[in-house]
Amino acid sequence: MIGGKPNISECERASNSYIMSIVAIAVGLPIPIINLVATFIFFLAQRKATYFVRWHSVQALLSQMSLLILNSKAWYWTYDVVFTGESAINNEYVAYLIAVVLINLVEFFATLYAASKVRKGIDIRFWFFSDLTDTFVKK
Amino acid sequence: MEQNRIDLFLASYAKFFHTDKIIHISEKLKSVEDDKWLVINSLQFKDPTTSLIVSLFGGGLGIDRFIIGDVGIGVGKLLTGGGCGIWTIVDWFLIQDATREKNWEMLQPYLYS
Repeated sequence: MIGGKPNISECERASNSYIMSIVAIAVGLPIPIINLVATFIFFLAQRKATYFVRWHSVQALLSQMSLLILNSKAWYWTYDVVFTGESAINNEYVAYLIAVVLINLVEFFATLYAASKVRKGIDIRFWFFSDLTDTFVKK
Repeated sequence: MEQNRIDLFLASYAKFFHTDKIIHISEKLKSVEDDKWLVINSLQFKDPTTSLIVSLFGGGLGIDRFIIGDVGIGVGKLLTGGGCGIWTIVDWFLIQDATREKNWEMLQPYLYS
């Protein structure tokens, strides 16, 4: 940090934590936990980095974590419908899928936005997750 | 003469180090003796861009980590198939920083002795 503003190298690293979660989503799309594991490994690698970098890698991790529960439920429900036949396609299932897709899209674009802004050194704070991150990351 | 030598070094190797280290390196190089300059100029710094390219194509086998000298992590990646692909993806984003860090570790003993 120079005069309270993160330097280029810090911004790049912090921004990478968001970009990496997006790439991991694309690569491990059928399995919902891949991006979370990737983000967690990235956080472990950055745990000795500066406060700015650590804060953003934890925020990226926490925002991915919330999606894991929703995506896992959607994944297993779809598995039941397609492969085992234990569940049928009904209104509840369709509504749930639409909701999950919408939430994923919102998260995806929020992550893209955060990645581009953080790369420029602007501190992006997600609703709810930023406060949670504050409690986890110590200066 | 001294400043020219430092400028030439930084022009050639600035991208091989973290941005925040450049000013520090520039300051420290001013007090380096002539015999150490020869050694510093012969050091084989690793190019972060090359590491990234190697990571993209050979990251699954840990080649990127072997190249920068992280043999332990390289073996770990090799045996786990790049951590089932996940570690490979993470390393695409870490390898450039890791390379710069290794270059800094390589240069450090000559700046502080």
